[in-house]
Parts: sequence; structure tokens; C-alpha cells
Amino acid sequence: MAADPKSAVRAQAEPGAPIMSVRDLRILFPTRDGRDTVKAVDGVDFDVRAGETLGIIGESGSGKTTLGRAMVSLIAPTEGEILHSGQNPAKMGREQFRKHRRDYQIVFQDPNAALNPRMTILDSVIEPAEIAKEGDDTSRRKDGFAALSRVGLPRELADRYPHQLSGGQKQRVNIARVLMLRPKVIVCDEVVAALDVSIRGDILNLFADLQREFGLTYVFITHDISVVSHISDRIAVTYLGKLMELGAAENVIERPLHPYTQALLSAEPIPLPSSMRTERRIVLEGEIPSPVAPPSGCRFRTRCPSVQAICAKDVPSWRELKPGHWAACHFSTLDGPPPANADLNHTK
Amino acid sequence: MADAAEAPMGQLDPTDTRSSPTSAPLLDVRGLSLGFKTAEGELSVIRDISFSVAAGERVGIVGESGCGKTVTGLSLLRLLPEQSSRLTGQILFEGRDLATLSARKMRAVRGREIAMIFQEPMSALDPVFTVGEQISETYRAHFPVDRKEARDRAIAALADVGIPAPERRYDEYPHQLSGGMRQRVMIAMALICEPKLLIADEPTTALDVTVQSQVIDLLRTLSERTGTALLFITHDLGVVAEACTRMITMYAGEVVEDAPVDDVLIKPRHPYTSGLLRSLPSLSARRSVLPSIPGRVPSPNAMPAGCRFQPRCSYAIETCDVRQIMIGLDASHRARCCRIREISLPGAVN
Repeated sequence: MAADPKSAVRAQAEPGAPIMSVRDLRILFPTRDGRDTVKAVDGVDFDVRAGETLGIIGESGSGKTTLGRAMVSLIAPTEGEILHSGQNPAKMGREQFRKHRRDYQIVFQDPNAALNPRMTILDSVIEPAEIAKEGDDTSRRKDGFAALSRVGLPRELADRYPHQLSGGQKQRVNIARVLMLRPKVIVCDEVVAALDVSIRGDILNLFADLQREFGLTYVFITHDISVVSHISDRIAVTYLGKLMELGAAENVIERPLHPYTQALLSAEPIPLPSSMRTERRIVLEGEIPSPVAPPSGCRFRTRCPSVQAICAKDVPSWRELKPGHWAACHFSTLDGPPPANADLNHTK
Repeated sequence: MADAAEAPMGQLDPTDTRSSPTSAPLLDVRGLSLGFKTAEGELSVIRDISFSVAAGERVGIVGESGCGKTVTGLSLLRLLPEQSSRLTGQILFEGRDLATLSARKMRAVRGREIAMIFQEPMSALDPVFTVGEQISETYRAHFPVDRKEARDRAIAALADVGIPAPERRYDEYPHQLSGGMRQRVMIAMALICEPKLLIADEPTTALDVTVQSQVIDLLRTLSERTGTALLFITHDLGVVAEACTRMITMYAGEVVEDAPVDDVLIKPRHPYTSGLLRSLPSLSARRSVLPSIPGRVPSPNAMPAGCRFQPRCSYAIETCDVRQIMIGLDASHRARCCRIREISLPGAVN
């Protein structure tokens, strides 16, 4: 591709340094009637390290999609800031921001909605480079073919239209589009949710290959625990606009510290025969409350099997219980979440 | 009112015939085929499907999108438009062939003997009627009761599916309920007439995982308590493992495997079932390369002549060029693969 030396520099960003820092982020939206406020993201703090895959997991309404869009400057923070390698894109001038944002890209869930039905596949793929005013027609076409081939699509597809492709192929096209800009960070918002299981594996493998090849950093947003635990180095668990837990993937999955994470993991249906199911399922009561009027104190308290009186009064602090392993619960210890209250352990 | 809320749903009796073992299955589908009429001729969507569901049994139908799971469910209740589709074969329900039943008699079966719930509860509920009215309407369509009794029954049904304050919820509209509550309303509506079979088409796919586990538990508990058999259509093998006792795998409009859940998870006998299981990220080591099934489901107008899975199958040999039949390994495990006895396929457990 055109600017190889530059992309090599990008790929060699200092490992471990935060490529993104989310600082006390709040994103509020007015409700449709204007009378209330949706607290989509309500006080979130974390870093993304260069070269890692950070998985963000949460149920619908947890604010994970809003967070992902804000991370690539598609939504402006109401309060707090998001730093890209120490710089605040919200404070950049127009021209500087246009050049900057190519480094921070996003791939969306619905591969159909993300492609213009009237544009050929190749035109869609080279469009980002046109907007970035990179190269000329000939070089862009050459790069476009290279990107298509890199994501495993045959050259013949270049002149077709989106409706002639399968869902998996369309998602590959969307990946090829962002590759055209040689980004540093790709936010992947539910990128395999719309795909069948047999294709899902191929796309996840492709993401892993591209990460190795280009030194990419991923923020992988999903509701699917099996996907997030497979691909992530670290996992953040969101609930009603806040982080509940953050830590190395194997720790969060195998030794969770927060009662919500524990319940979420136990709710995941596992394809194992009955003889191999040992753990008792924790069935949470009810559903995620409205982000317009989240519960006082700890947001999870209305569904928490270990809730105590203090949980309604005080917002639990974000504590580092083990090196690199954080949780927001009054009662979590480094041994794990608090035991469930006997009378409230609802297993209907 | 309090009495009604506490009363069990209907006059359910555990010794009812539906839960006692009988020799004939409740539902016996024989050689069912479905074609869609198109301008280019008939398009075969499902071909020669046979399976059965015993009284009280919970059976899962799995497969990827486009394999014919949903149309199979719709065909059983004859919900597909007859002008544009052609159904052949038998759907024996308690010995009666639903495929040849008159439209009027079929209406008496739907909702009363066999009920169905769908993936998206919001589109299955009418937004301009209260949920209570919609549930009582179902009951009144099949039983000669007055409004008051239908209301009491509906409130009892809402209580049965775990909806808090059912008297108040009765008068609420669908938009006032959360996704999980709407699906509970659909289940209450489906079960109020005490059907013998409930067809559930992806009932938890639109729900969050914590709510999904509530709904799976609810369906399983209700099925065990009332003896209602369950035909659970889903793409999620984990859901089948948790909710069902038997699993039917469909591929390209055919049944390719039919076995007890525990057997098939440990030792699948069809390469497609094995491929589906192995491609699940939860069963592979973290950050390892995920196994996948190359290629994609053939479209109905370009079906391979022999084994329909052959173009994607790494075990294919010459004998796969001819049409495959279901081969029984034992009384309970069958697969549509000529190599059923010679190949050993990986399952969910190593």
C-alpha cells in the first residue's frame, strides 16, 4: 500500500501505553419529549492499551454501543473526555481532526446497513480513501483490490453490488473498507452478531490475523460472552452506563469479582451434556432498569442476589482488588463476589 | 380475584393422558415436503422430513439460517399461504393428519391443541389491545365462557408465567411491557388453552442473556408441570442443551440428524452437526483459531444432487454423490450420512 513506512511506525506504537483513555465519561441524551435525560454512559474510566483486544460486554441498554461510538468521535461526550494517544480529538481543528480520525475506525453490526446498495463493492471499499484524499484513482483501485484480497474476497466480487453478497462476505467488505485507512484502532460493534455460527468463526479468525499483521488495537463490543472471552485480552463488563468489572479476560471469565459478572456468566447457555453441568445457575430477577431513572446507589442492586442496605445509599467505588482487576461492588473481595443472600437467591 | 390468581392454570391433572407414556407419538411427521411456487417453477424448501415428538417431550430443531427450521414450524400449523406454497406428506397429530384437515377444523387445532410463539413478541402482539384482552380472546375462541371467567383465566395465566401484579398487567398495552415481559405474555397466551404441543420459534433470540435464562427456565418448568410437549426451534445449540432432551439438526431443507441431546453433544454422527458444535467459540481454547465450516448453505434452486452437505464436508467420498437416507445407529440416534459407522466425529466434549 501507498504509505508503508508510516503504517510501520503506527504499528510499532509503544506496547502497553494507552492508545485511548476514557476519562470520567458521561453521555446524556434528552428523551424524545425532552422532559427527561437518558444516562447512556454515566461515569466511565478506563484505558485501552496499544495492540490489545479489549472486550466490552453488556446487555442491551448498558450503554456499550454509545460508548463505542464516542470512542471514535461519532458522539460527543457530555462530560469527561476521550484521549487518543494523549490527544483530545474534540479540541482539534477541522483539518487536523479529519486527518486524525482515520486512525480510529469502527465496524458496525449490520453489514447490510453499512454498505450503500447503489455502489459497487470496490467503490464502497475505496470511498474512505477518497474522503481522506489519498492517492489517485489508479492507486486507490490498486489498494482497494489489495484490501479485498486481504479479507479473503475474490477479485470478481469487486464489480458486484451488496445484495449479491452473503452476510459474511458483506462483513468482510466492511473490514476491507476500514483497512484502506490503515487505522490504529478498530472499534467492532457486534460485528458477528448477525452472522451464522459457521461463518462467525471465519470472521473472528480474520480479525485475529489482521491484528497480528497490522498491530491493530481492537475494542470489541458484544453481548455474546463466548465471543468476547474467545478474542479478548481484557474484558470490561458494563451495566446501565457504568463499568461493573474490568480485568484480564481469563480472570474475569474464570474468577469474576462482581456479582453481575458472575450472574451473566452463569446465564450463558452452554452446549454441554447434562452430566457435565455442575454449576447452579444464578437466575437474576427482572430486567435491566431504564437508563432514564437508574437505581440509586449501586445500579445493579435491584437485581443483585447479594444486595444489602448500603447498596441503595452509596455508589460503590471503582476498586482495584487485584493488580489490573477492578470491580464496583461494596462487598467484593479479592476472593470473589459476596455470597448470595439466602432469601433473595431466586431460583424459580 | 385472589382465588383466581392462585388457581393453577386450567384444570391440569398430572395423570392426564398427555403426560402418560403412550406407544404412539403425539406428533408424527412423515415425509413432509414444502415447495414455494415461483415464476420459475416450484422451489423445494423442505424435502421429505420425518420426525416425531412424544407427549411431554422437549425437542430442539437446530440449524443455520436458510436450513428450513422456521418453515417447518409454520408448516406444522399450516400457517403458510396455500396459494403460493405446496405441502405434501403427513402431519399426524394424535393420529389425525393435519395436512388434510379442513380449514375450519385446522382453526380449532391452532391455539387449542398446538400453540406457537415467535422470536419477536412485539410484532406478535396487537398494539391497540391490552395484553389481557388478547389473552382472554384466545381462551374465548376455544371455550364457551363469559368475559368475566375469561378475564380470571387470563390473570391466572399471567401469574403462571411469573408476571408480577397480573391484575394490573392485564389492563396494560404491549408497549408498556419490557421485551422479557412481552415474551411471557406470549407464553401465557399460548398455554392458556392447555395445548398438547407448543412450537417455539427462536423465543429467546431477541432477549438479553439474563432474561433468556429466565424464559428457558419458565418454558422447561411449565412443560414439565403441564405435560405440554415443546418443539424448540433455535440456532443456539446452548439453548437446546439447556431446554431439550432431543435434538434434530436440519440442513438445506432436510433432517440430517436426530438424537438425544446428551448423545449428540458427546458424539455427533453427522459432519454438519459436528461442524456446528466445533465452531462455537465457547468450546475452543481462548485466542485459538476457530474451526469453521467452509462454504455456505446452498440456495434452494442450486441443491447438490447427492448429499446436500457434500460440497462443504471434509469427510465426503464417492458414495456421497448419491442421495443420502437416514440411517439408524440405534433406536434413538439417526443421521443422514452413509459414513455414520466408519467415521468418528468430534463433539462438544473432547
